[in-house]
Amino acid sequence: MDFSFTEEQVMFKEQVIRFAKKEIVPRVEEHDLKGEFDFQSFRKLGEFGILGLHFPEELGGSNADVVTTVLAGEALGEAGVDGGLTLAYGAHTFLCADTIFAHGTDAQREKYIPRLASGELIGCMGLTEPGAGSDVASMTTRAEKRGDRYVLNGTKMFITNGPIADVAVVYGKTGKDEKHAGISAFIVEKGTPGFSAGKNLIKMGVRTSHTSELILEDCEIPEENLIGLEGSGFLMAMQTVEWDRSALLAPFVGAMTYVLKKCAQYAKERYQFGRPISHFQAIKHKLAEIKIFMEAARPLVYRIAWCKDQGRPLNHLEAAIAKLFIGDWSLKPANEAVTLHGGYGYCHEYEVERCFRDSRLAPIGGGTSEIQKKIISKLM
Amino acid sequence: MNFDFEDTERGLCDKIKDLFDTDSMALLAQLEQQDSADIRDTVLGWLNTLAQTGYLELGLDKGKDNIGLKIAQETLASISPSLFLSVEVSARIFGRLVEVHGSPELKADILSPLKEGRIIGAVALSEEGMSIENNPLNTAGVQDSRGYLVSGSKAHVVNAPIADWIAVAGTVSGGAEARHAFFLVKKDSKGLNIGERLSTLGYNGVTTSAISLENCTLPSNHVIGPFEDMGPILDVRTWEDQILTAAGLGLMRTCFDAALNYARNHTSGGKPIIAYQEIGFKLAEMLTLFQTAQLLAYRAGWMADTGDREAASIAHCAKVFCAESAEEIASHALQILGGHGFIHGNPAEEGYRDAKYLQIAGTSSEISRVKIGDAVLSSVG
Repeated sequence: MDFSFTEEQVMFKEQVIRFAKKEIVPRVEEHDLKGEFDFQSFRKLGEFGILGLHFPEELGGSNADVVTTVLAGEALGEAGVDGGLTLAYGAHTFLCADTIFAHGTDAQREKYIPRLASGELIGCMGLTEPGAGSDVASMTTRAEKRGDRYVLNGTKMFITNGPIADVAVVYGKTGKDEKHAGISAFIVEKGTPGFSAGKNLIKMGVRTSHTSELILEDCEIPEENLIGLEGSGFLMAMQTVEWDRSALLAPFVGAMTYVLKKCAQYAKERYQFGRPISHFQAIKHKLAEIKIFMEAARPLVYRIAWCKDQGRPLNHLEAAIAKLFIGDWSLKPANEAVTLHGGYGYCHEYEVERCFRDSRLAPIGGGTSEIQKKIISKLM
Repeated sequence: MNFDFEDTERGLCDKIKDLFDTDSMALLAQLEQQDSADIRDTVLGWLNTLAQTGYLELGLDKGKDNIGLKIAQETLASISPSLFLSVEVSARIFGRLVEVHGSPELKADILSPLKEGRIIGAVALSEEGMSIENNPLNTAGVQDSRGYLVSGSKAHVVNAPIADWIAVAGTVSGGAEARHAFFLVKKDSKGLNIGERLSTLGYNGVTTSAISLENCTLPSNHVIGPFEDMGPILDVRTWEDQILTAAGLGLMRTCFDAALNYARNHTSGGKPIIAYQEIGFKLAEMLTLFQTAQLLAYRAGWMADTGDREAASIAHCAKVFCAESAEEIASHALQILGGHGFIHGNPAEEGYRDAKYLQIAGTSSEISRVKIGDAVLSSVG
């Protein structure tokens, strides 16, 4: 076993942290307060190369391996980038762009990937429905083939980047009575007649990411917008899980490093009873809670990334364990961080308040903790 | 980066597994009921057997941790928690102390038979009513023409009732200030008194007692040190923590396996109880904690082995996480086993009793957290 990163990876992570601190973090508070997506920061992510990091150079990427890509996500969290922007990045790059890249035709790749990698286009993925979350097979969105076109009807729910996306990867059923095997994936562009987004949902955390319904009403798309083969959509959706359990979880882990530093700095500066509160054992214990969680969580994420780099099929048990641990066990340290700050921790001007709200998504988004337990108990 | 075990890391683990057949496991299950004399025979027997695999020599020379050692320890700890603790205290703490700080003469006299599994060692660190970290030790040796006269008392000395040698931490006076040292005391030495074997909540197959020394005379060459600072004393605590971390992994494995096996085979309402979410989800949480603890512990071992500057802090993280997860997993396992879990002599019940020790022994969870917090604070400007 070897837990080391290469020198290049370590240097790259430091570069990402420096970049994010300079270009993105100063804008976080304003956008989080307003619940606004930060288009400028998103474009900066594209310019820096993060949005397309793992894509080939000829498609506007840097050909990075998965571990390096995950490091970038951790670095964003560690720098203090909010969970909203990192979630928007995750949905854009891994749920939308990577699905087109991994399963699309050359023409689809060439048309979309360079513009998604640069941030010129924003992507999203429409899988969840009002009545179908983790039970994907029960989705009701239908895609009916009519001549050389597909006609899509249905509603998607909780779609990250929904209101701002230029390109959506939308899942719908092409088979009649089939379950998983009847699901197909399609590219739907903004402006397509019959395709619209609902209003931006006001959320507890990750507020700078915009989330909405996607509505498909007799939405006609050309048949070349089918990704891969009819009926292979479920497999594609499942393959995004590899990214979901590594690159999308990494910012949560990075954010804990950020929170820990903020807590330690505050504890040193805050005086009570004539001495910094860092001198009190109870405060040290809170710092330790956060540190222990962070150190325990990190290898789980990189194990998924490293296995993907080795070309191994996703180990669903390990993936669910990573998601469950980071989801459920992160709540206590996030709460400790707020408590350590006392009244200030409850106020928006202290970053731990936002981090606390952002962290609450971890046990919900991308498959709830209960679903992870269901998967683990089935696979053990 | 590589999340696979190397063959060299896994090799010893497989050898250890092969040593234990059904009969020997049944005998080890009786360890908790044995008296000190029988436990000594059992431990010596297994030390001798383990010596032939090279297990007793692992990690002695550098005094460090590593992944191969960690997974071998995890394996032995899952087979017999009490045997594991006795073996480790003898080899990895007492043995390391002699290997790292002992003279060539001591190594020849003590280390050789120890590595061959012919003798048992113990280390006496804690004293009644004080932390070893914040106080000079009361146990002291005074040099005279015959060597050293050592007096003092020690609490909770694992292996003391069965040990051939006990390394007793204390101070040496005579210079400008007292300096720390270890006094190597042979069993039956005049002035050494081994207290009654303590009755404990868990690890009942381990013999533990207090000891006292009253003008116990030692030759000068049986003193390791004196040291310039507390470093070697605290190193022993670190080694203890490494062992207890591995003990936690072994305990988690045993309890999880027992619970999973029971949940698959015990039926209720016409189906195995694992099919109920109350049980299946509990097992999922247990496995999550176990795998997370494994990776953290392996990484801590790897960091210690590679000399990472954060190694000490991560080792504390691993120790706290493994110790506390072990208790949680044991508790869940006992709950899943229901009435069977409450009956004396099953892995969940034994694990539940043993788990508390892991949080108390070595660096306690509370002190570990303080140290982790201190390290975090020192890392920010």
